Amino acid sequence: MSATTQSPQARTPKPPAAEAASSVKMIRLMGSVSLICGLLIVTTYRSTLVPIQRNQEIIMKETVAELLPGVEKQVIYGVQPSGEISVLKSLDYTGPRLFAGYNGSGALLGVVLEASDRGYADVIRTMYAYSPAKQAITGFKVVELKETPGLGDKITSDPTFLANFQNLDVRLNADKTSTAHPVTTVKHGTKKNPWEVDAISGATISSRAVGRALDKSTRDLLPIVNRNLSRIEKGE
Amino acid sequence: MALIHEPDAPAASAGESMEAFFNGLWNQNPVFVQVLGMCPTLAVTNSVRNALAMGLATTFVLVCSNTLISMVRKLVQKQVRIATYILIIATFVTIVDYLIKAISIPVYKALGAFIALIVVNCIILGRAEAYASKNSVGKSMLDGLGMGVGFAFALTCLGSVREILGAGSFLGIPLFGPNFQPWVLFLLPPGGFLTLATWLLIFSAWKARSKRKTEVLEEIAA
Amino acid sequence: MIMRNVVYALLPICAFSVWLFGISALASLAAAVASCVLTEHLICRIGGRPATVGDFSAVITGLLLALTLPPGFPLWMTAVGGLIAVGLGKMLFGGLGFNVFNPALVGRAFLQAAFPIAITAYTPAMAVNRFLEFIPTTLTLPFAQPLVLTEWIQRVRVDAFSGATPLTMQKFDHAATDVMPLFLGKTAGSAGETSALLILLCGAYLIARKFMDWRIPAAMLSSAFVVSAAFYLAAPAQYPNPLFVLFSGGLMLGAMFMATDMVASPVTPLGVWIYGGLMGLITVIIRFLGGLPEGVMYAILLGNAVSPMIDNLTQPRIYGARKKEAAKA
Repeated sequence: MSATTQSPQARTPKPPAAEAASSVKMIRLMGSVSLICGLLIVTTYRSTLVPIQRNQEIIMKETVAELLPGVEKQVIYGVQPSGEISVLKSLDYTGPRLFAGYNGSGALLGVVLEASDRGYADVIRTMYAYSPAKQAITGFKVVELKETPGLGDKITSDPTFLANFQNLDVRLNADKTSTAHPVTTVKHGTKKNPWEVDAISGATISSRAVGRALDKSTRDLLPIVNRNLSRIEKGE
Repeated sequence: MALIHEPDAPAASAGESMEAFFNGLWNQNPVFVQVLGMCPTLAVTNSVRNALAMGLATTFVLVCSNTLISMVRKLVQKQVRIATYILIIATFVTIVDYLIKAISIPVYKALGAFIALIVVNCIILGRAEAYASKNSVGKSMLDGLGMGVGFAFALTCLGSVREILGAGSFLGIPLFGPNFQPWVLFLLPPGGFLTLATWLLIFSAWKARSKRKTEVLEEIAA
Repeated sequence: MIMRNVVYALLPICAFSVWLFGISALASLAAAVASCVLTEHLICRIGGRPATVGDFSAVITGLLLALTLPPGFPLWMTAVGGLIAVGLGKMLFGGLGFNVFNPALVGRAFLQAAFPIAITAYTPAMAVNRFLEFIPTTLTLPFAQPLVLTEWIQRVRVDAFSGATPLTMQKFDHAATDVMPLFLGKTAGSAGETSALLILLCGAYLIARKFMDWRIPAAMLSSAFVVSAAFYLAAPAQYPNPLFVLFSGGLMLGAMFMATDMVASPVTPLGVWIYGGLMGLITVIIRFLGGLPEGVMYAILLGNAVSPMIDNLTQPRIYGARKKEAAKA
């Protein structure tokens, strides 16, 4: 390396024309290599787009089925910035998504929503089932996390922690613009109210992240679900 | 990096090509002999599936980047060679990232950031600089394949010990029934270090023994 | 010579633990010693080194390892612990005199990380039939999971034992244990850590015969006492009293027999005090603020790790500085 990058003054000086020519050559080389690389990436991207989406759809469907036992039919809605909802054909949607699940006779079992927030290591992504009839969260699953094994990743398995989400109160307030009580994470063993999340001792940061994620998501999305409930119930 | 520097040979015989392949697989094994690429070796070998996936992804990147770099080796100026190599390597890492996502999302999530980090795996840039930039396309391809398979082999060695002891299973299939006591330690980072150290010990003890054997044989022959 | 006297000093503690926990403790001691001695012998043979089994250090490692484990710890796990203690903790570093860490604690740390559930399965002291039957977990088949002991404990316990040591009860239930039973040692815990009184007497024997540096246990125990007293005075409801800290768990055994490992501790007079004080501090911090009920093992291992540095920092400077000061005066 050092031999090739010596300053030109140290050796016999090259004529400036030759140097310019070599710069042009370098740029030409880098340009053409970049072009080839870009083409390769675009080709791969285009050809893997469909399988990737299909994989993600399968995983999503399985998760929804897990959170809403007995589900037979699923409809995905996208929430527009205006608060309107529309049926989505594919998962590819940047805004919030609602996964409505229906049983065999077409009755609404519940709506699965996404919630995420920053944990200890990276963003923790979760999904939860909301039952409009009970006004409560009835199921919860962590779909992506990079927390410490043995500590933070207890939020995926700790039975007492997961029991929080079998019936977590997320009632709406009187004018239906937000939840009546924010979902709050409390220290392990001090849960008193049905809207509180009992943290895992030793995994407080991860537990709090889950609480924050659910709070944000329920406050933003549950009023929209309730406003459009008649449409969601019919599945249109 | 103590890598072998070979002169630019215009054509390769079949024997030489095979040597390029077995060199990486065994004599110059990237993990057990050169002790390169330790980051993925320690980080993603807590199960056989993850180890195999990482090994295959790295092999793919190695073969493709070695081939392409060997193709353009005569055109690359010395001043921009590292930049060119990294550009090519990063391209193939991006491609392998999409491919894994298309094949299996759980594997993609298990490997996480380590797929993107293949870019900085020094085995790949090491082979580009030390081999592909000086040798013919065919030989470079075989060299990449040998190194990649050697890397995958080493990762699988670690992954199987860690999964068998740490979870009592192989590729997710339980081996010993429900009464088996898992050694949790082996799924955690210290287990990675201990397993790697044990493999290195076995490998170097075996090498020392075979070296002694050939010396004895040569003495007898002389 | 020293080594043999350490074994003598450990024997009363072993005898007490056999009396307290029965034949399971005896089997555990035998398995640990056998595994350590065998490992040392085999490694010497394979490596073509002179046999070092006769120096009794492997026996000490085995005894100490078994004394720090729960009495009903599965024998096969004890044997693994012995293999790791001598193989990884001592022989890989070059044998006796070169070990960076106390070998017995290396073995225990491995077991703690590998089998976190088995190593916290404590059984009651003075169980009925303890000299006639093994604790069921002791005879677990190799590589198998030990049984859950809840039912067995119900049958053999003599008082209201819940399967927890005084330290665990303090940590998780804030239930205090009286200091006197702790001092005498008829409580649940690891096989050899329960009786503070006996450990003090055995340690005093070694100190009296000048086989042990008294400053290390003195520094470690007094630092643990002072730090925990500070916590206790600040919040008496939340933290146990300092005497409880001194006499519970493995602090006494660790301070007397493991922190004093001659190879892994500093040699300078000031360094020894820093080393002991640091270990006492870490023990209390782990016990009070960490997630684990007991921290002696990690405290000693950390102390071992920094002891070369302590030696480096203390030795030359202090000497030079004092000379200069003396010259000025």
